[in-house]
Amino acid sequence: MELAIEVNELAKTYPGDVQAVKAISFSVNAGEVFGLLGPNGAGKSTTVGMLTTTILPSSGSAQLIGYDVVRQARETRSVSSVVFQEPVVDRSLSGRRNLEIHARLWRVEPTEAKARMDELAHTLGLTDLLERPLSTYSGGQQRRLEIARALISRPRVLFLDEPTVGLDPRIRAELLDVIAGLRDRTSTTILLTTHYLDEAERLCDRLAIIHEGTIVALDSPAALRADLGEKIVELRVRDNAQRTLELLRERGLAGEDAFSVGATITLPLHERRAPETITAIEEAGVRSAAITTREPTLDDVYLRLTGGQLSAAA
Amino acid sequence: MTAATPELVTPLPTIAREPFRPLATLAHRRLQLSARTPRELVVPLLTPILFALVIAPALKQALHTSAAYEAFVATGTIGLLIPLNTMFAGISVLVDRESGAQRELLAAPIPRALLVLANLIVAFAITALQIAVLLAVARARGIHFDVTTTSLLWFLAAGSIFTIGMYGAAETLAARVPRTEEYIGRVPAIAIVPWFLAGSLFPINALPSFLTWFARLLPLTHTLALVRYGLLNDPSSLHNIWRMHNTTTMAALSLLVVVAFAALLTTAGIRAFSRTAVR
Repeated sequence: MELAIEVNELAKTYPGDVQAVKAISFSVNAGEVFGLLGPNGAGKSTTVGMLTTTILPSSGSAQLIGYDVVRQARETRSVSSVVFQEPVVDRSLSGRRNLEIHARLWRVEPTEAKARMDELAHTLGLTDLLERPLSTYSGGQQRRLEIARALISRPRVLFLDEPTVGLDPRIRAELLDVIAGLRDRTSTTILLTTHYLDEAERLCDRLAIIHEGTIVALDSPAALRADLGEKIVELRVRDNAQRTLELLRERGLAGEDAFSVGATITLPLHERRAPETITAIEEAGVRSAAITTREPTLDDVYLRLTGGQLSAAA
Repeated sequence: MTAATPELVTPLPTIAREPFRPLATLAHRRLQLSARTPRELVVPLLTPILFALVIAPALKQALHTSAAYEAFVATGTIGLLIPLNTMFAGISVLVDRESGAQRELLAAPIPRALLVLANLIVAFAITALQIAVLLAVARARGIHFDVTTTSLLWFLAAGSIFTIGMYGAAETLAARVPRTEEYIGRVPAIAIVPWFLAGSLFPINALPSFLTWFARLLPLTHTLALVRYGLLNDPSSLHNIWRMHNTTTMAALSLLVVVAFAALLTTAGIRAFSRTAVR
C-alpha cells in the first residue's frame, strides 16, 4: 500500500516547555480518510500545523507523498491543501477570485483552473455565488467555498482541520455530506481533525485518538469499538463508582476494560450475557440509579482510553 | 510501514523557475484588497495635502517668509506622506493575519518572502501615486519646482529607497505586535515624531545642537535633503547635515544612509514575517 503521510516520533514543544505533541507516529495510506480525534488542546491542530509546514517540529520527522515537511517544505505544500478551522478567506473579494488566487499560487494552468472551478462550483452548489464577495456568504457557503478552493489544485493530501466547528447543526450536516461526497468521488488522501465522534465515525476509514499530545489508539472505528465487544452495560451508581467497580471486578462481573467516569460505570460484556450480568450486579448489592444495555460507541472507546469525556472537553 | 513509491511523488518542475508569477498574483491580490479599502488610498494623503495647501501658505503669511518657504514645506510633507502611507499599508498585514487569507497564503508552495515583497510593491505604487498627487496639487497652488534630469534621479532614488525602508519598518512592527490597536498606537512615534525633527518645517540647524546631531542620524533627514536637492535644486539641507562643499558627494553619502536604512529594515521585515509565519 502506498503511503501518503508518514509520521515518525513527531514532537512539538512550545516555549515554556509546553509539550503539545509528544513523539507521535502514524501513517496514512494513499486515498485513505484518516481522522485525528481528540478534545481541544489534544495536539491535533499542532500536528496539522507541522504537516502543513506552518509549525516547525521540535523533533521527529514527517513526509507527505515522500517529501520531508522540514527540508522540502515548499514541495510538501505543493501537494497539499488545507481547510482551516476558522474562515481563512479574502472576504472583500469574490468567491471566484479567491479560487483563482489559489489556482495561480498552486500553478494550475488558467484554462484548467477555469474548468475545475466550474466543476467544483457545480458539485458544491456554488455556481450562483461565485461572483459575489465572500462577505455576503453564509457560514456554510463560505466553508464550501474553502473546500472548493482547497480542491482546485487537486491536492494529493487534503487537510480538514475541524471543518465543522462553529457551524449550526443544519449547515454541519450539509457539510458532512459534502465531505462524504469527496471521499467517494476523489482519490485524495484526507486527514481530518475533529472532536465530534459522529463525524469521525461517519467519515474516517481509520482514526487516531489523540490525548494530551499522545496517540492512545489507532484503528478503524469499527475495530476500535470491537475491542469493547458487541454489548456493554452502563450503570449509574449511588455509591462511590470506583469502589463499586472494584467490587464488580472481584465478583468477576467486570473485566480490565471496564471503567468509571463520575457516577457512571461502563462494563463491556464480551462473552457474558446482559440479563445474567444485570441480575448478578443487583445480587452483589450495587445500588444503581439506572442500568442500561447498549452497543459500544467511539465515546466509550475514548473514555476507556483517556478517562475523560470527549464532548465535554471539546 | 513502507516508503512512498517514486511514482507517487508529483514532479515539481516549475517551483524554482518562475518566482515572478506568484509575486504578480500576490501583488494583484493586495492591490484589489487596497482598492476596496479607500482609507488606504485617501487617509495618508489628507495631512500632507493640508500642509502643502493650507498650513505652508499660512506659515508663510504669518512669518512673512518668501515663496521659497512654501516650497520648503511642500517638499517636506513628502517626509510625512511616505511614513504615514507605508505604516497604514502595514495594517493590511495585521488584517490579513487576524481575519484574512494569510494562513492560506502561508500554505502555498511559494517562498514566503514573496508575501512581503508583494505587499511592498503595492505600498510603493500607492505611495508613488500619492506623491505625484501631492506634487501636482502643490504645483497647481503655484509652488515652483526646479527640476533637472539629474536632480530628478536623486529625488526618485531617495523617495523610492526610503519608501522601501519604511515599509520594512511597517512589516517588522506588524509582525511584532499582536493586535491592530497596538500597531496603530505606535504609528505616531514612528511616522510623525521623526518628521518634526528631520527638517521638514525648518532647517535642522534651527534645532538645539543636540537635536541637530540627532536629526543627522535620522534617515528621513537625509531623504528630505535629497528630495529638496532633487526638486528645488537646493543643497542647503545636505550642507546642514554634512557641512561639505561638494554637493554630489553629500548627496551620495545621504543616499548611502537611506540605502543602508532600507536594506536593514527590509531584511528585518522579511525575517520578522517569516518568524511569525512559522511557529
